[in-house]
Amino acid sequence: MTSKKISVTPSNTRLDIPNTFGLPYGTGSKAGNFIFLSGLIAVDPVTGERAHGTVVSETRLILGNMAHILQSSASSLDRVVKTTVWLQSMLELDDMNGAYRAFFPNDPPARTVCGARINYGMKVQIDCIALV
Amino acid sequence: MRINRELIRAPSAGLDFQVIFGHHQTPAIRAAGLIFCSGMLAVNPETGEREQGTVTSETRRIFENLKILLESAGSSLDRLVQVHALIYDRIEYDVLNRAYRQYVPDAPPCRTVWSTQIEAGLKVQLDVIAAA
Repeated sequence: MTSKKISVTPSNTRLDIPNTFGLPYGTGSKAGNFIFLSGLIAVDPVTGERAHGTVVSETRLILGNMAHILQSSASSLDRVVKTTVWLQSMLELDDMNGAYRAFFPNDPPARTVCGARINYGMKVQIDCIALV
Repeated sequence: MRINRELIRAPSAGLDFQVIFGHHQTPAIRAAGLIFCSGMLAVNPETGEREQGTVTSETRRIFENLKILLESAGSSLDRLVQVHALIYDRIEYDVLNRAYRQYVPDAPPCRTVWSTQIEAGLKVQLDVIAAA
């Protein structure tokens, strides 16, 4: 038996980041019991434009957008099993952690945080795997 | 029927990074036959004290910690499916491999290595998915 791969498309098409920027990847894929989302950077959900800001503002935008994208596929933040967070600087780990906390009030997912240079000079990038 | 997440709590006090470091994450989440672990670091599993050392000593400590965590959840190191091995500098790639191979002697899991900034000046972090 083969299982099907389904592309994840946000209801708000402004959040279809690879489509907006003409990049060769999908916002997410659904397969088996899981949804895999590409690394999200901070974009304004109204204009679709990149929203450079602080680690806190970028983290909030990313996780708000992640919630929307997951909900578009009948999942949600409280069904996320794992996230990976890339930060421009690990000196800002606590700033990210503080903003992140509000989006996962109970039983947060497993997580890995590391420092990296991120495309377009963004400060934060977060990907996730969630249960459908 | 919707599958739910199962939280895997820290099997020893030192492996509870949420309590010890304030990291907003669960040590591991079991879902749909897989176990997703938070990025593991070289810490003393009883006290949580960080053990900054060499790539070799940190890799060993991390595998010992993963063994404790996975076995507490009914899995084990030989059930690893995927590993992201984060190191502070690619120049130590061979050093990582030398220590690493001792813990996955047969049919090692798939793996991706990248160099990155790791919290608190640590040199290694392993982010793993295992079969439950």
